[in-house]
Order: sequence, then structure tokens, then C-alpha cells
Amino acid sequence: MSAKYRPTIGIECHVQLRTKTKLFSGAGNDARTAKPNTLINHIDFGLPGALPVFNREAMHLAIRAALALGVEPQLFSTFDRKHYFYPDLPMGYQITQYDQPVILGGKVEYILNGELKTVAITRAHLEADAGKSSHPSAKAYSLVDLNRAGTPLLEIVSEPQMHSAAEARAYAKELYLLMCYAGVTDGDLYHGNMRFDVNVSLSENDQLGVRSETKNLNSFRAVEKAVAYEIKRQSDLLDRGQSVVQETRGWNEAKQKTLSQRSKENADDYRYMPDPDLPPLEIDPAFIKKVRSEMPNLPSFWRNELSSLGLSLSQSEILLEAGIDFTNANYMDLLLDFKHSGLNTKMLVNWLVNVDIPLVRTDSSLINANRRELYKEVIGLVEAGKLSSTNTKELIAAALKSSEAAKDLANYASRAGLLQQSDSSELEAIIQEVLASNEAAVKDVAAGQDKAIGFLIGQVMAKTSGRANPEVARQIVKRLIKQD
Amino acid sequence: MARLSKDDVLRLAHLARIELSEEEVSEFLIELNEVLAYVQQLQSSDTEGIRETNQVNALTNVMRDDQLIDYGYPPSELLKNLPAVLDDQIQVKRMVE
Repeated sequence: MSAKYRPTIGIECHVQLRTKTKLFSGAGNDARTAKPNTLINHIDFGLPGALPVFNREAMHLAIRAALALGVEPQLFSTFDRKHYFYPDLPMGYQITQYDQPVILGGKVEYILNGELKTVAITRAHLEADAGKSSHPSAKAYSLVDLNRAGTPLLEIVSEPQMHSAAEARAYAKELYLLMCYAGVTDGDLYHGNMRFDVNVSLSENDQLGVRSETKNLNSFRAVEKAVAYEIKRQSDLLDRGQSVVQETRGWNEAKQKTLSQRSKENADDYRYMPDPDLPPLEIDPAFIKKVRSEMPNLPSFWRNELSSLGLSLSQSEILLEAGIDFTNANYMDLLLDFKHSGLNTKMLVNWLVNVDIPLVRTDSSLINANRRELYKEVIGLVEAGKLSSTNTKELIAAALKSSEAAKDLANYASRAGLLQQSDSSELEAIIQEVLASNEAAVKDVAAGQDKAIGFLIGQVMAKTSGRANPEVARQIVKRLIKQD
Repeated sequence: MARLSKDDVLRLAHLARIELSEEEVSEFLIELNEVLAYVQQLQSSDTEGIRETNQVNALTNVMRDDQLIDYGYPPSELLKNLPAVLDDQIQVKRMVE
């Protein structure tokens, strides 16, 4: 990348609100596993005469979002129609908030390379999502599923105040954490609960350059890569004396590049007009006060808590990203309990990050597993030298998945062959056999060649199907050979 | 008084994704200008000191609780209104290349 251009990045993010039903209808809002066109009714279907009615919970969550962004919500906001024709938009317009949105202002703060950065929020508005279209290959048609039509979104628009791909990624991640911890969204990125559009432009002076918009990025990594790609693409164009075209682009994950998409209509082409079906929203300041008093703890709070437990920054961030308190797993309580009991907290974090959290990601029902006793028993076994690190992970996974295994952990571990043989007398007998059948190696060890010890321990491990504690075996081998 | 031009009509037709013949364009040009002239009577109203509003019915906060509602229109019935359905999805002209 040429350093002569200064990149400027602004991000629009669509956050799917955590409601049971849609923004303007009583249809279910969880389209993740629903069969096509089952979460629909006459309102989402855009039938003439259907009357949309605003979902009270969306107002509650918008207030939470405002408070998480450090700003009071607007007491008065309105709904508008944004007109365009596309097969996934049954009404022929999207219901959104145009000139009087529910949030104006606010900020997102994040730390990048030890430096505190602040990005100002321009606005955030409530709007209904469109349906989902798919395009079967080699067919003359597309298919539309309206389960998502009417899903409540909060579109959060940042000021163009980021200047690198890394900053864009850090902003996206911090916004994600804020919205998840505030309980505004479930934050299921895989299912598009947060989608980012990045606006990138380059300039050689104080004037902003022409920008491209890359739409529908659904991971922090994609945000970072798309921004980096656009900076490179645009600076190559400018270097060649060409100009950047203002256009909408899409990120192609397979090709790792952005590609030009259909040209977008101008704002006045959308023919915005106040929606006559939807009276304005007036938020009662007393209700804001109530929502404020019920606000969950935000990431900055948990960062302080985790750092007071002596966790490293990267461990804290991984735990934060996995969700400390917005699931029922209550990792924080667990960590606190470990700390207060004088147990090894770092070991616990290691298991949470490497075993527990990835497992919960694949099966959310595992959130409900009873962890407190489980981890205390596991750490007991580890400290007694009975579990290797690989087997510890296997045992934790088994115990999280099966309450039977968790109930009688030590027995389960023994039956499953996960325990190490640290019992010296039993192990000593096996080692005697190994030494008897490997005389050459024994001589080498006696002659001071430590390499041969490794070979003998390998034999012991093979004979015990990996259940011997290698450290204990090593001590026994050394003792037995010195005695010879 | 502002008047619509032929280009305005063509642009509106494009945004509405409808095709108009030459005759239709001339026809709509007259009709739309008549509609516009009718609505433009509002411009002569004295609005001095009157607060801007989006609503004439003075309602605010018409809301419902976040609960599932059975409106009595099963999806299968709604899908029957469509010209083409494939595997419970709405079949439309291909949108992408």
C-alpha cells in the first residue's frame, strides 16, 4: 500500500434486535432453523390494507443501545417509507426512520495497540429487514423466503473516523461486544445478526476522496480484509492516474476481494415519506430512567473485573468475545469462585477458552451444564497428577456433554481410560518389564545418554496405552537405572 | 407552479419498474400534472406559526407487546396468492447473473 494516501473509513452496522417477534407484526423472529415462509403473515407479506403495529420491545432495546453508546435516546422519532422495488421487499418500501431517528450521537471507544480510540456515532435508526433471496445455479429463477422480512434491525452509522483496516476491525468488534453485553442482540454473526457495510475512501489532502461501499460483511475478519482490499485497490487506481467510482461492492470470501455490484439509487430516488400507518414514537423519560437502572454490565466493566483476576489482556478479550454473562454459563462467577477458593484461575481460563466456550458455540444447550463442581473436581485430578493436558480437555468435554459423566467424574475418567498411572508400584512393575526387554537402551542411560530415557518412556507409554504419567515414569526409570 | 416534465414521468416509471408506451407517457404527464396541481393548493395555505407534523390524527406510541400473534392467515394460505411457488419459496425472475 502506498503511504501517500490517507484512508478514511466509516461503518454502518445492522444489528438484529433480540425480540421474540418482528418489528411490526406478531410473527416469530427466529428464522435460523425455520422452514421457508413459515414466519409470515399478511403484514410481512405486504398485503394491501395490512396494518403494521410497532413492537414495544424494539423501543426498549433501542434505548439500551443508546445508553450502551453513551447517549440518551431521542424522545421523539418517526417512521418513514423508503421506496424501492426488489423481489425480497414485498411491500415495495422498507419501513425505516429517515430524518428523525431514535438515536443521534454517541460513541464507541476501543483500545488498539495500547491506545484509546474514539469513534463518534452519527445516528442509529430502527428499520425492518427485507426477505432472503437465493439463486440456484443454472436456473432462470431466484427464490425468496420472507421469514426475515420485518425482522427488527437497528442500523448504527459511525462518523468516518477510522483510518486503517485494523481500526475498522477493532471498532466492529467493540460495537459487537457493546450490543451483546447490553442485551440488544443475540450477536449470532454466523446467522447475520450483525452485518457491516464499510465505506472506504482515500485522500491526499484534507478533502475526503470518492468512497466505495462494501456491503454485508458478517465477521470482524471480513471487515478487516475488505477494508484492506479497498485501500489497496483504490490506491492502485490513483497511482495509475485513474479515479475511484462511487459504487456499492460486495465481499467475495472465496476470491478474497471486493466486486462491483448493481449501481445504487440516489437518496431522492427512494422517495422517502412519513409512514401514515405508524404514529411517531415518544419515549417517556421515566422509562429511560428505568431502562438505565436495569442496564447489564458493559464490556468495560468486565475488562476491569477480569484484569483484577490477573488475566492477560488477550485472555480477557477471548473470554469477553465468548460471552461472560449474557449466557447462563456464568463464567465470571466460576472465575470468582476459583479465585476465592485459591484455585488456579489461569488453568481454568485456559479450559474455558480452549474447550468449554468452543463446545458451547457448537451446542448452545451445553450452557446449562453445571460447571462449578465439575471444574473443581477436574483441577483436583490435575493437581494429583492423574490427568494429562490432552485427557483433561477430553474429560471436560465429556462431562459438559453428559451429566452422567459429570456426576461421578473420577470413576468416569477411570472407565474411559483417561487417568494417568501415577501409582508408582503398579507403574514400576511395568517399567521393570520394559527395562528387561530393552537392555541396550538401559546401558545407554547408565552411560549418561539422556536421549535413551525418552525412548524407554515411549515404550512405557505404549505399554500402558498412554495412561502412564510420563513425569512419574521418568523418575522411576532414573531411580531404577541408577540402582543397577 | 412546478410542473412535471416528460423526463420526470420516465424516471418515475423506471423507479416503479414499469414500462410505458409513448402514448402512456403523454397520458400520465397530463394526469400526474393535474394531480400535482390539485395537491399544490396546499401551498397557498397560511402555515405561519403551525408546528410541522407527520400525522394528522395526533396519535403517538401505538404499540403491541412482544408476543406471537396468530392472525388466522396460515402461511400455506398466503402462499396460494402467489403466481409461482417452488419448495415453499416464492419463485421470481432471476435477480443476479
